[in-house]
Amino acid sequence: MAELRTEEFLVNMGPHHPSTHGVCRLILTMDGEKVVAIEPVIGYLHRAIEKICENRTYPQCTPLMDRFEYVTAMATEHVYALAVEKLAGLEVPERAEYLRVIMVELNRIASHLIFWGVTAMDVGAYTPFLYGLREREDIMDLFEITCGQRLTYNYIRIGGVSKDIPPEFVPKCREFVKMMWSKFSDYEGLLNGNPIFLGRMKDIGVLTPEAAIAYGASGPVLRASGVKYDVRRNDPYSVYDKFDFEIPTQPNGDCYDRFIQRLDEMKESLKIIEQALDNLPEGDIKCKVKPKLKPPEGEVYSRIESARGEMGVYIRSDGTTKPMRVKLRGSSYNHLMLVPEISTDVLIADVVAIFATLDIIMPEVDR
Amino acid sequence: MTRDELKEHILKKYDGLLTPLETGVFDLMCEVKPANLTKVARMLYDDEQLKFDFLNNIAGVDTGEQFEVVYSLSSISNNLRLDFKLVLSYDQAVIDSVKDIWTAADWHEREIWELYGIDINNHDNLKRFLLPDDWDQGYPMRKDWDAPDFVRMPEL
Repeated sequence: MAELRTEEFLVNMGPHHPSTHGVCRLILTMDGEKVVAIEPVIGYLHRAIEKICENRTYPQCTPLMDRFEYVTAMATEHVYALAVEKLAGLEVPERAEYLRVIMVELNRIASHLIFWGVTAMDVGAYTPFLYGLREREDIMDLFEITCGQRLTYNYIRIGGVSKDIPPEFVPKCREFVKMMWSKFSDYEGLLNGNPIFLGRMKDIGVLTPEAAIAYGASGPVLRASGVKYDVRRNDPYSVYDKFDFEIPTQPNGDCYDRFIQRLDEMKESLKIIEQALDNLPEGDIKCKVKPKLKPPEGEVYSRIESARGEMGVYIRSDGTTKPMRVKLRGSSYNHLMLVPEISTDVLIADVVAIFATLDIIMPEVDR
Repeated sequence: MTRDELKEHILKKYDGLLTPLETGVFDLMCEVKPANLTKVARMLYDDEQLKFDFLNNIAGVDTGEQFEVVYSLSSISNNLRLDFKLVLSYDQAVIDSVKDIWTAADWHEREIWELYGIDINNHDNLKRFLLPDDWDQGYPMRKDWDAPDFVRMPEL
């Protein structure tokens, strides 16, 4: 019998595909059912935030930072505020730093809950999504009583935070932490040992530590590949050097490890919140900032550990009220670069799992 | 290694290649001549005492007088941070790619090429990605480029 003629073909995934978490187009080159190559096409959410910042004063840029990465908007505000404070030489009151840490860690848990639910939904399990959003709702309520917003907070300002927490915040937050600790047995019992889930996640999209470092992967993705590196520990900022927490890592770097990694990190965030609530000092929540803030000439690259990985901002000041250049570095940018690297010889369904476990969100890529 | 020890090490071992500047307000900032870029990058990567294996960020800057390209590096194994920059004149806006050393440079360089019009040597993937495919209105991150409906904010 004559040989059958075969040839590669293209499959267009996105831009509006539910598993691309935003607007991202993947051009897949397929050989039968196997993926041969992937080309990500981005730019659908490019809002030129960096260019807009150049025409605004330093405090006016803070609300834009919320739109850069809206799933953990507290972290984006934090990294921007830290960078401007370094440039202008501002000393932030300790109470403000503690409040920032509480908010950022709460936001990290909220982000990981979305990750946990959405990843499970992408591979076909619907229940975690409802559970995850149910708990996230309590965090959103805590933010709402603090600053009135649920997604774009504009809470962490240059020099401190915008307002103090209301009296009911601390008891409500303790209640949430207690409730959250009791949920992990549910979470872990739902999927972690499910044979169908394991089949979809184990040994899929394996990322070696060498490739992770070369591609600039950071945060949970880097740690799931076994590299123990966390900006909160290795380059401490804010008051993170005062807390006692572990840096969890996983051995294999596959989709399953990245999934488990986030569950482990939520527990560490809870530990940090507990310690911050116990030691929350009294005092000012904002240092004196001139209305016409003019940082002296200079430049700084400031970085923090956001829920997705290293988030950085490079600011160049020319001594005027407006920044000369603001460059935002989102970890999803580097993680999206990784997708073609780790998704060769997999099925289309595995691409969905890989994309989900890297926890890419597109506004952070396109800016 | 503290910031001062790093500076001393750089002055001793990278004399003439990396020049420490005073503009870095937190981490050490150095200047590199564009012609020496790949050589310095390779040395920083291979140096056992430094081993800058992680490229955090590349930022293009248009100061109104010249271009600058700022590289932010860190070392995972030695826990260090270093920034260095290249200064380019408008009529010689060409840099070499460091993609072979840090794969992460791929998209960062592509972005600088697209938004600033700085040419990248030895880069095999220079295609539009943030701007529309049919974009023909120049390089939007340059200081002399304004959007058609742009209104400059008055100085406070």
